[in-house]
Amino acid sequence: MNIHQSFETNKSAESINKPINQDVTISFDRSWFGELLSHIEHNGPWHQWSMFQLAMEAEQASLVKDFDQLQCLSKLPHIEPMDHQLQTAKKVVHEMGGRAILADEVGLGKTIEAGLILKEYMVRGLAKRVLILVPASLVLQWVRELNSKFSIQAVAQRKNYTWDAEVIVASIDTAKREPHREQILATDYDLIIIDEAHKLKNKKTTNYQFALQLSKKYCLLLTATPVQNDLEELFNLISLLKPGQLGGQSEFNSTFVVDKRMPKNEQLLQDALAKVMIRNTRQDSAVSFTKRHVQNIILELSDDEKNLYEEVTRFVHEQAQDSTIDISSLLSLVTLQREVCSSRDAVFLTLINMFKKTEEGSRIRDMIWALVDHIKRVKSNTKSEQVLQLIKSKNEKFIIFTEYRATQEHLLHFLQEHNITAVSYSGGMNRGKKDWMMDLFKGRAQVLIATEAGGEGINLQFCHNIINYDLPWNPMRVEQRIGRVHRLGQQHDVYIYNLCTKGTIEQHILNLLHEKINMFELVIGELDVILEKLEQDEGSIEQQLAKLLIQNKDEQQLNDALAKLGSSIRQHAKQEQTHNRLKPSTAINHSSTKGVQL
Amino acid sequence: MIVKDVYQYVERYLEAMQCEIIEKSSYHIKVKLSAAADKELTNRPFYWSFIERSSEKPETLSFCFIFDQEKYEQHKKLEEESQAALSKEEKLAESILERTFGVPAKPLSRVLQEHLYFGSPRLEQIFQSTKQNGSYVYLFEETRIAGLHPLESKAYTAWLGINYRVEYCCDRKREEIYSLGISLVTGYVMEQFYEKLIRKRLSPKLPSNVHIAKHAITYNKALTLAEQYIERKLKQYDYSWAKEANERLKEELARINHYYEPLLQQAVDEEQQFKIKQQFEQRKEEIRWQFEPRIKVTVTNCGLFHLEGID
Repeated sequence: MNIHQSFETNKSAESINKPINQDVTISFDRSWFGELLSHIEHNGPWHQWSMFQLAMEAEQASLVKDFDQLQCLSKLPHIEPMDHQLQTAKKVVHEMGGRAILADEVGLGKTIEAGLILKEYMVRGLAKRVLILVPASLVLQWVRELNSKFSIQAVAQRKNYTWDAEVIVASIDTAKREPHREQILATDYDLIIIDEAHKLKNKKTTNYQFALQLSKKYCLLLTATPVQNDLEELFNLISLLKPGQLGGQSEFNSTFVVDKRMPKNEQLLQDALAKVMIRNTRQDSAVSFTKRHVQNIILELSDDEKNLYEEVTRFVHEQAQDSTIDISSLLSLVTLQREVCSSRDAVFLTLINMFKKTEEGSRIRDMIWALVDHIKRVKSNTKSEQVLQLIKSKNEKFIIFTEYRATQEHLLHFLQEHNITAVSYSGGMNRGKKDWMMDLFKGRAQVLIATEAGGEGINLQFCHNIINYDLPWNPMRVEQRIGRVHRLGQQHDVYIYNLCTKGTIEQHILNLLHEKINMFELVIGELDVILEKLEQDEGSIEQQLAKLLIQNKDEQQLNDALAKLGSSIRQHAKQEQTHNRLKPSTAINHSSTKGVQL
Repeated sequence: MIVKDVYQYVERYLEAMQCEIIEKSSYHIKVKLSAAADKELTNRPFYWSFIERSSEKPETLSFCFIFDQEKYEQHKKLEEESQAALSKEEKLAESILERTFGVPAKPLSRVLQEHLYFGSPRLEQIFQSTKQNGSYVYLFEETRIAGLHPLESKAYTAWLGINYRVEYCCDRKREEIYSLGISLVTGYVMEQFYEKLIRKRLSPKLPSNVHIAKHAITYNKALTLAEQYIERKLKQYDYSWAKEANERLKEELARINHYYEPLLQQAVDEEQQFKIKQQFEQRKEEIRWQFEPRIKVTVTNCGLFHLEGID
């Protein structure tokens, strides 16, 4: 046998490069060759022929056969992306070179688009190291979605260093601090995704400066806020992504800016933007949401309940007279008034806590005891009875939202007494328990009683009835509640029941939300922009409301003050709509994604 | 890969890894892993290093791989119903056993259940494992002995077989596979060599009554021949994609020049200028990384194949 020929020493490098033509070079990897020679020299060990074939078949199955088709879809059996999401992913990968601002309106699935693009790059072998920067409250949600929907083994960055994982989700506030900062800045990332990117609008912030220093190949910026409302902010955002896309700073100012909010040469700006930004609107993407039916149920309190409400109100106003009182005590006093509208359990609990905090023998203690006595005398339960009636009349699944844990407990018992299966859900539960409660609700229980709606991304499309047992004062939170149910994938019209006790502060709030700012009919996504503007000037909306309530004891005065607030919100809304009509946002929309050549 | 392909693929893998199949249907496989497979798939390096040091008997994990989830669930439902139909006495007996001895009557073994589909992390892991364990082979074609005189000897040619993967990259990417066989006797290069191989019966054992023709070509020479062949082949292709990528690259470079040049001129002091310059350089690097067209040729696996005849 002459298999063993003489071994030339293999001087060739691990890889060699040669030009193919003027445009491109070819590099041959040769690391395998040395290995092969050493196997020959040592007469093995050799691998199995069957394994050799399996490896080759794996290679054939995973081969990226062309430049243009999305490869990732065959590997994603768990999601069915919508048309506009697919178009967006294709456009970003094939036409925009993987650097884009994804600015879809809220609820159109920007996360899905980003996930598709990420997966596509991973499948093509073009992205390995990936950094995803999101607000802290969304870290786990991103990790879960990437794992469950996209089979991407993303890792949440914890306090200890997990930076060697390939796909990492972290909050920018953590990432920018040492010791993480150094590690991140030393890494070249194939892809960086920044969620809620409109927060990076200000050049001078440390977050912006940090983002500017990151080393990246592809980059996605996600935002729902129509950034083109502020030209300076828009310029800053694009400078992160593609510096120079809108020219240099001075050039940009002279070409595009009349004043901060007013562009010139709109068509030119639109064209320049269309190369880096995709904004799908609900209207254009033919995403049909089912209808919302809002019903306000005004309840007449029974005499004993009314009595209690009046007593609590009197107590609140008396306490508020105290000149030494600070804003936080003021807020908790108003809370008392709100709680009494929700349930006697809620107000009782707060009173007890107040009692514990006051000095022994003080006059307030006596007053509290008197109120507790009133509570004991309340026998009727107008709101709960109404809920029971509603649920029984429809015999469908219901979600009841309340602001207060005590009310939640009360409802849980009350419904169980009346043979209605109910489970609870609150922010304090750990993830496992939350998931379990969701499963129970989906499978067995008729009613879910929740104190928390936001943040964690619970999706409850299988239910289409919501009862707002009491209303949050912040319209955003109301919207979040409804958004859990009224979202993509909801098959039915959604019924929203607002319970409201007549002649109480609840009625004022409902009035403000429903009639004055018409929030239940607002387009999703408009509200957050409007509120952001409002709160910039005046402090949080809860604080504004509390002040109004305390300052205006007289019913008429209060009505006027609330009307003023309402019209100010409407004003902001109007401005917003005018802006959207004037500014490119309407033009940079689906029309640009539709023209994609495949 | 559709469900059926994944099933057959995984079945063959488990077989090659000498795993013990406990139960299977057309939509699932229950399997106790062999030690080799366990090391590949379960990510328990500490456990295995402990076993190796302590010479304990290893306990490998069991999996229930599900290929068609819908059908599997139907099947399970039926099974549960038939379980429920167990006579009451039997159940009673079991529960007495359980209460008396504090152990369940049936042994509990942990079987990890997993949905395997094209794109699932586990299948991806199996792909990687096959590449690790199927890179270098040394094989002989089996020959039909019938009709051959005992003293007659057949001539075999040794071939260097290489499965190349060619990646055409810029900000986008496309791939091709080239399977080449280089005759170590004549230096002849054959394309689609792998397709030819899989139609043959190959074995690691040298058949009797066979002799290997003398090598005229060294391994290094064969390597050069293979690379030259690829190069010649690739030179004939259309490179408009690379041309376009270069144009994009130029455009992008011009764009950031346009942005940074004025900034550099306006810098108030050297420190600021240095910072801007640094960022400028970084952006340029990124853009080259993103757009520069290149062709990367890597090898999936290779081997020496001794085939009948002189070529």
